Amino acid sequence: MGSSIRKAIELILSADPELLNILSTTAKVCLTSSILALVLGVPIGILLGAERFPGRKVLLVLNRTLIGMPPVVCGLLFYMLFSGVGPFRHLHWLFTVKLMILAQVVLITPIIVGVMETFVADTAPALRETTRGLGFGRLKEYRLLMNECLYSIFSAYLLSFARAIAEVGAVAMVGGAIAWKTNVMTTAIMMYTNRGSFTLGIALGLILLTLSLLVNIVLSVMQGRLSR
Amino acid sequence: MKTTAFTKTYNKRVVLNLPELELPKGQITAVIGPNGSGKSTFAKILAGIERADDRRPVLSGVSVGYLPQKSFPFRMSTEKNILQNGNDPACASALMKALGIEALAGQSAKKLSGGETARMALCRILMRRYALLILDEPTAAMDMESTLAAEECIRRYCDETGCGVLLITHSISQAKRLADQIIVLHEGKLIEQGDTERVLASPREEQTRRFLEFFGV
Amino acid sequence: MKKIVSLLLAMIMIFALAACGQSAAPAPAATEAPAAVEEPAAESAPVEEAAPAEEPAPEADALVVDTCILMEADDAMINNYSLLAVNPDAPFVDADGNAVADVELNTVGAAALINWLLSEEGQNLAANYGFEEYGEYLFYLKDGRPVSTAEIPEATEETKHIRLSTTTSVNDSGLLGYLLPIFEEKYGYEVEVYSAGTGKSIANAKMGNADLILVHSKKQEEAFIADGFSYVIDGMETERLNWMYNYFVLCGPSADPAGVKDAADVKAAFKAIADGKYTFISRGDGSGTHTKELSLWPEELGITAEAESFQDYTDWYVSANTGMGACLVMAEEMGAYILTDKATFLTFVANDGVMG
Repeated sequence: MGSSIRKAIELILSADPELLNILSTTAKVCLTSSILALVLGVPIGILLGAERFPGRKVLLVLNRTLIGMPPVVCGLLFYMLFSGVGPFRHLHWLFTVKLMILAQVVLITPIIVGVMETFVADTAPALRETTRGLGFGRLKEYRLLMNECLYSIFSAYLLSFARAIAEVGAVAMVGGAIAWKTNVMTTAIMMYTNRGSFTLGIALGLILLTLSLLVNIVLSVMQGRLSR
Repeated sequence: MKTTAFTKTYNKRVVLNLPELELPKGQITAVIGPNGSGKSTFAKILAGIERADDRRPVLSGVSVGYLPQKSFPFRMSTEKNILQNGNDPACASALMKALGIEALAGQSAKKLSGGETARMALCRILMRRYALLILDEPTAAMDMESTLAAEECIRRYCDETGCGVLLITHSISQAKRLADQIIVLHEGKLIEQGDTERVLASPREEQTRRFLEFFGV
Repeated sequence: MKKIVSLLLAMIMIFALAACGQSAAPAPAATEAPAAVEEPAAESAPVEEAAPAEEPAPEADALVVDTCILMEADDAMINNYSLLAVNPDAPFVDADGNAVADVELNTVGAAALINWLLSEEGQNLAANYGFEEYGEYLFYLKDGRPVSTAEIPEATEETKHIRLSTTTSVNDSGLLGYLLPIFEEKYGYEVEVYSAGTGKSIANAKMGNADLILVHSKKQEEAFIADGFSYVIDGMETERLNWMYNYFVLCGPSADPAGVKDAADVKAAFKAIADGKYTFISRGDGSGTHTKELSLWPEELGITAEAESFQDYTDWYVSANTGMGACLVMAEEMGAYILTDKATFLTFVANDGVMG
């Protein structure tokens, strides 16, 4: 551990260009995918939680299944779809950051939908009884519901960001861990581990954990402000 | 205002079966009856939160306000909660003062106690003028002092706006203090309707008499 | 706020603990070395100080590599590297087996890279790679190798991206990291290296995701050609451009309990290991090294890539299913025999058994 920590500090201090590239690719992939997933997942989750319509139960079961989808299966699916022989080959997305983001969005959105649905299904009935009683319209009802959700949107985002940054199966499959292009922290760790460079792997792991900690601190502070 | 006759069934059990009812404007009508007599369901159906068996509205073309037994505090300050129902800060602060929560105006509504939440909710619903205002046990969580203040506010609202108030309560004394007429429900049926004094003094029905006796009237 | 501060404190404590743990418990190999000077509480000191202070110390507690080369330069252990351009008209099929006709490949870029690697410049660079660092050549040029004198076109927008699917051993030896920037700089191409075991690399090319492959498994290369996935580029005579080689080496504990050193040839050495049931680490990942290893066992054992084939030998045959470096670390740890490419082994030793 000691030598790994030393290595980690060395790496950061030396501003190794490859490490910086890996870090920026990681940030690009994780932030974009988690934000896209949030934009997609929050409305879907709120609708599923607040409305009652035929087929809702089926969608919920489907969503829970997607939450449990192994990342590597998701990666394999997109690898096949965007492969040189796959149906979407003309987009030339395989081994690009774009496809890594897409695969992660598919992985993460169900988590956000699940978190939001649970929260809203808990809150909406009581809120609705009050807003309808006051004679508010649908629009105002949803605005107030969104306002109630703000805190749990943060929780959902924290979860999805954590999943995005920790995920390796999907990004390794569709990204190919190509140096200077699609190599992210997790795939780099895997590569070094396969190579037997355990020290370097742990060093990268420590950097990843520290970054994750920083992001979580920032978001937690923002969340704390919100609850006040 | 007239309500149409309707039936409400839950799991094949008839929980409410009421004839046409007259709810006069500018008056307070108290609905009393033992637990499970269908008072709250009646309020929800009138408010349109729930539907009668034929799914048609019982009151139509009338703006109805409804204060549920447990109101939902929105995630904002007490004052902003109240201002959600009409942007009139002067009216809001007058109401808060009348109910003794003016000191809590800036506090997060989520952190209010049960009694404080009930007072905030009453302020909130009294901000707007409805043709019919339905209050489902508005003072159940309040202490004696707040209850009296709340009753005064309700009375004044009724007098000033001239709209009808339907007050669901399990307190006979509150009905006696506040109501112009009384509706007595028992097992989902209307058993008595009339002026407050008349019903309380000489109930026509045996069941009403027994219910009143139980409460020591 | 309190929460955050305590979180930060916890993190710092973990770091500090880990650091103390390391200096407090010296590795067993270093016990007799008085040189295990207390590392002056490096982690608690400011970071800038820690960096210079550790320069002389870090190897003090490093492992002394016991694993050594026991047999090399046997003709059966030649490790041939070949370049194959992927045929744009190959019989590509999608996941359901339907033919796909319009797979887009960068044939111009692939030819450019091949022509450069086979040019005098490229060949010289590859042949001299590693000598400075390890005092030994890592790759040798083959007699009768294909040589290219073709003009190499500058990259254009369409031909700029070249997708090279290759094996981990080429990539991990650092050869590509040394050669490709020179090529890219000179002609403006960008080479994207996908590195995996030979099996996976070839599968990736068969899915239309590579313009050329650089691998080291004759059997699999020939199957690739037989299936029509490669073609002869202009100026060359064959699909399989085998221009470079090195040796696999059989390594093991210096004590060599199986007596591999004295074996007549590599097949006899493998037989000795199997007979004595000495622990052997197999890559087990369908890589070129794995393929080679499978061809060296006595036939009567019937060891193949299938898991069933070695289920009776699990007391000594370890199928690791991971990269070369990780397998070497494992072999060192277990005092096991292992077949490896020389380049990776030299890197491993140069780093005192701690890869990277």
